[in-house]
Amino acid sequence: MINSELILFGFSIHAWITIFTIVSIFIVMSRSRIPAEVAFLGALTILLVTGVVTEEEGMAGFGSEPVVVHAAFFVIIAGLMQTGVLYWLTKHVLGDPKNYKNALLRLMVPTSILSALLNSVNVVALFIDAVKIWSRKLNIPPSKLLLPLSYAATLGGMCTLLGNSSNLVVAGLYLNKTGQAMNVFEPLIPGIILTIVGILMVMMMQRYIPPRDSADQSFETTSDYTVELLVPTDNPAVGETVEDAGLYNVKGGSLVEIVRFDREIITPVSKEEWVLGGDRLIYAGQINEILELKRTHGLAAADHHVWSINEIDTKRRMRTAYVTFGSDLIGQSMTQCDFEQKNNVALVAVARQGRRVKGQPREILLQAGDTLLLECPSKGEEHLEQANRRSLKFFDSHFVPRLGAKTITSAIILVFMFIISSLHMLPLMATTMFAAGVMMLLGCCRISGVTKYIEWELLLILGSTVVFSIAITKTGIADIIAQQVLQLCGSNPYIVIAVMCLLASLVSEFVSDVGASAVFFPIMYQQAIILGCNPMPFVMSLMLSVTISFASPIGSSTHMLIYGPGSFRFTDFARLGILMHIVLLSIAILIVSFMYPLY
Amino acid sequence: MTTTFKEENNDFVMYFEGRLDTAAAPQVEKEVAPLIDCMGHNVILDCSKMEYISSSGLRIFLSILKNAKPKGSHVYIRGLNDELRQVFSMTGFINLFEFK
Repeated sequence: MINSELILFGFSIHAWITIFTIVSIFIVMSRSRIPAEVAFLGALTILLVTGVVTEEEGMAGFGSEPVVVHAAFFVIIAGLMQTGVLYWLTKHVLGDPKNYKNALLRLMVPTSILSALLNSVNVVALFIDAVKIWSRKLNIPPSKLLLPLSYAATLGGMCTLLGNSSNLVVAGLYLNKTGQAMNVFEPLIPGIILTIVGILMVMMMQRYIPPRDSADQSFETTSDYTVELLVPTDNPAVGETVEDAGLYNVKGGSLVEIVRFDREIITPVSKEEWVLGGDRLIYAGQINEILELKRTHGLAAADHHVWSINEIDTKRRMRTAYVTFGSDLIGQSMTQCDFEQKNNVALVAVARQGRRVKGQPREILLQAGDTLLLECPSKGEEHLEQANRRSLKFFDSHFVPRLGAKTITSAIILVFMFIISSLHMLPLMATTMFAAGVMMLLGCCRISGVTKYIEWELLLILGSTVVFSIAITKTGIADIIAQQVLQLCGSNPYIVIAVMCLLASLVSEFVSDVGASAVFFPIMYQQAIILGCNPMPFVMSLMLSVTISFASPIGSSTHMLIYGPGSFRFTDFARLGILMHIVLLSIAILIVSFMYPLY
Repeated sequence: MTTTFKEENNDFVMYFEGRLDTAAAPQVEKEVAPLIDCMGHNVILDCSKMEYISSSGLRIFLSILKNAKPKGSHVYIRGLNDELRQVFSMTGFINLFEFK
């Protein structure tokens, strides 16, 4: 165990370990494609092993309210998806805008209003899939719409105590200290002003929103990919040279490799190379053109040997899917696992960040974010998507739920959930779990395999984040910084509020809004008491400033949700986020100072 | 892998013994040279003592066939065991050669 009493430059060894660990996460996540949950869990392990947090503290995060509420909400989302509520929202809320600016308005205004009532994380989780489908329809990169969605939801969430999780944390701490419960609409006026300013800023600075290529479109937009096709036994090309058989220089591509039945690899391929039944021909070039060889030359996309092309169901069709973070397929090749056999699919091509991956597609070790082109059975689309929900995300989902009685039932469950939680009849955790249970009991969401709908990797991230805030509080990092700020700022409350809010929003940016509010609340409240001020302006400005964490995906729970689906890079959020952070923070402090008297 | 070339009843016969795998293929390719000039002779590839054939082995067989056909010679394969027959079936070679 490391001696925690030792002090170096004002901080204990444990404090330094915490600082080092959190900084390392940023470096690892911004410079590599290591899945976020792995980076977070690695950091949690360091904190546990070095004794910074106890086992109990280390695990406490995983049972915390944000984690449980999110888990239950994933089930509710599954119910909403399966019964068609999401489909209805896409069709009726988002509509058919004429241009990108119009699309931003159509997206940001309703989602910010919904967030104020439903909680920003819920709204973003609810809208991610709808917005992705919408982006395809409008031919706009999903990132250009997902980032505004996240901003709108967080901004709208500022308007009520229910809107953002951190609002509830601050209100709860205020109740503990003063015995006075805050009104659910306490932050409404500053929230509305910040939402309007925020939406206008996004619209004016739209060019800073990165247009990340949707992973599913990479097959269409890139001309150079590797495609694998099999020569069936009875193919007329058997015994011919590749050139004579018309398989050497094909339209849109060229033959780069032959993999024989005994796995012997012929590369480079000469024109005189013979074709044998069972050969796997690897082409580089345009996928659509090369796939024409199936029709013109009787080749097949298959994971197993094909004796005759007649065995192949001609109705099988190509579908694109991307390997999700935390997928079981990561680190494996198709030949190493039974994915193809289990699902009756064949991997035809792999795309990685818009580049051709060299070699035989089925031998490629898959990474998170890889886009796969799969030949799938003509039937059972929904089953295929559901069965592999944790491994793959299919983009060309043609599954359209039928609207009916269950659509209304699930919508009513949702509305009741929000009424119950907004009236504080039950804690949010209990309400969401109750709603998830009712969804299943009333048949809006299938009970069998319900845990498949839960995105465990996100829960791991949230659980680890809570532990970081424990470590920051426990090791005295927050306390030392805050005390020193008070010494430096003197007795001017406005300066104290401004500096503390700036610090809180920075910590929020790097840790989590909930963690930052929990760390900064007791200090700011105490500062108000020492200075003889009304604590309300301190508390309200803290509540607003911790939410203004737009510049990193960690700082905002909504940013975390859109990170994968938008194909974002870690630094993408800073482009618009830093300016928004500065402007909105200044406005928030100004409004609160005007609204709440200091004495 | 050992190969033996014999002329029997006006037929060119090549006996293969052992495993015709990728490692053995380059040497075997040289050893089948006597079959090139087969004008007026049928070719028999005797596989009774062959244990295994790889894709490179099949390429050699195919080269022999492609060389013999324009010269009017037939190429027969003799003595295939079940395992080898399976390889010939799967690769579609069963339709290319004649069997004895």
